[in-house]
Amino acid sequence: MSAKLSHRYRTQYTYLMQTVVTILIAVFCLTPMFYILSTSLKPRGAEYMIPLELWPSKPTLQAYRAVLGIVEEAELASESKGSMVLPADQARIVKSLSFVTPLRNSLIVSSAVAAFSLLISSLSAYAIARLRFRYKIQSLIFLQLGAMIPIAVTIAPTFMLMRSLGLLRTLLAMIIPNIFYNVPMSTWLIACYFAELPFDLEDAAKVDGYKPIQIFWKVIIPLAAPGLFSAGVFAFLGSWGEFMLASAVSMGIPAVQTVPAAMLNFSVQFRYEWTWISAAIILSVALVAFMTLVFQRWVIRGLTAGAVKY
Amino acid sequence: MKIRLREPTIAFLFLLPAFIGVIVFYYYQIVQTGIYSLHNLQHTADWQTQPFVWFKNYATVFRSTYFWQSLRFTVYFTFMATVLELAVGLGMAMATFWVSRWLGGILRAIIIMPWVIPPIINAMIWRWLFHADVGLFGYILVSLGLVDKPPLFLTEPMLAVHSVIFADVWKNSSIMAIFLLGGLAAIPADIYDAAKVDGARSWFRFRKVTLPMLLPTILVALLFRGIDALRTFDLIYGLTGGGPGTVTETLSSFAYKYYFTYGKFGLGSAYAIVVFAIIVGLAAVYLSRIRRNMRFKE
Repeated sequence: MSAKLSHRYRTQYTYLMQTVVTILIAVFCLTPMFYILSTSLKPRGAEYMIPLELWPSKPTLQAYRAVLGIVEEAELASESKGSMVLPADQARIVKSLSFVTPLRNSLIVSSAVAAFSLLISSLSAYAIARLRFRYKIQSLIFLQLGAMIPIAVTIAPTFMLMRSLGLLRTLLAMIIPNIFYNVPMSTWLIACYFAELPFDLEDAAKVDGYKPIQIFWKVIIPLAAPGLFSAGVFAFLGSWGEFMLASAVSMGIPAVQTVPAAMLNFSVQFRYEWTWISAAIILSVALVAFMTLVFQRWVIRGLTAGAVKY
Repeated sequence: MKIRLREPTIAFLFLLPAFIGVIVFYYYQIVQTGIYSLHNLQHTADWQTQPFVWFKNYATVFRSTYFWQSLRFTVYFTFMATVLELAVGLGMAMATFWVSRWLGGILRAIIIMPWVIPPIINAMIWRWLFHADVGLFGYILVSLGLVDKPPLFLTEPMLAVHSVIFADVWKNSSIMAIFLLGGLAAIPADIYDAAKVDGARSWFRFRKVTLPMLLPTILVALLFRGIDALRTFDLIYGLTGGGPGTVTETLSSFAYKYYFTYGKFGLGSAYAIVVFAIIVGLAAVYLSRIRRNMRFKE
């Protein structure tokens, strides 16, 4: 009797503890983003009011409208009475720093990087995982060792290379290097997937008279879709956050800045407008956070591919 | 006419685009940076037209107190951040593994969130949370009665150093946790069951069963994070700008400053080569560890 009771007490206690631990971790991981979200919903200037509000009493989308450049002059005029900056000027500044352009640029860069690094890595992964030749591991190591080199080490010559190609201040200067920054990791990820497919596939296809490129394209690629997908999401996320190269080759020109470079620019220009900066942060993180949540399983698989063999 | 290619030739052709790209954007660049570091190179000048100065840039670097200070900070930052991330990450991984399936699923989704945030945006977030007057962090400390007024997180040297470390730990503990979760999942369940049958208490089980089994994963995770932490740049650039003074300047952020702020490509390259030299050693160990995972049918 008492043993049974204590068992029940113990399960309930365990359940309570589990919930507490979950909440603690959630607080640790989510509080910073939560507070940024809350700041972004405050009316302009309210972010400096003491006592701090954890959640705004009157949430407003003002900051998002400003950051997306859909602010109206009248609105600004009513807000900034007594401010040194003329409303018309302020509207112009806001328009010029509209976050729509960086978001669009980042979308272009990241999609292009994901697509091309997938194309190139799936070829190399196919060779490593499925074709007969001697230096498989060495090839993989060669690619991986390259990826260990910090961008700080390669940035100066890459900058010069882009200059001599006349690509400075264009999105291509970010796209091309970023493709290859992601190729080593993608190759490995995809190779791991390819290696799991049965090897009879090739033999069957050869009997049917397929050429190697046809086997690759028509048999292997469709079957390895999840692996390709994981690598694609990975490359997308990687290039979305890449800052050093993006800020060097965009050279402060807003029209070609991706999100990370524009973010820094923005936070310097509007140093005191934390509702705006917060809104910009939320906008830059929203898409990738959503993607990660949806494709969580693949992302985690990608992350751990190097450290842990499943 | 029909050309029949042998399989190794096809493999070579398939590998070619990846190899060319990686050679052009990694290996060739190292050589270039090496060459730059031997020249008195100003901003966008062509290195062939600039004076060759042997190891003068390195001499300048090694003689400068800034270099030693930033080397010290880089190493301290890497050590502290990696160790703390291991502790926090291990805690989070064990918790996720321990709670019910349902809560575990939620935890996984929560834990991965800080990892998603790009480093430069992480820097922005913490600049606001560490704000000297209205930062949430200082506000909480004041509300709890721990301090009288919000500490100057980013302007007091000792505090700034640790604020940067904290911001890094917040973001990167999640990747540590994800690594270790993978490692935990790979431990065969019957080992636990055997230990349970033997009546081993949970702490003893953790110390004698889980930890030893997890050790290879921990080592790889530490190396992976260590290599990444040594080249930290974005976080510093966005959060403190290397300040106050040059207290939180890493080798990478110094290199970047020499390139694009002072326009001294030669000197910056010397910094970069030093970073490379430090990382190459760790990278070799890391690759030799993960090599065991690279098994493909010959």
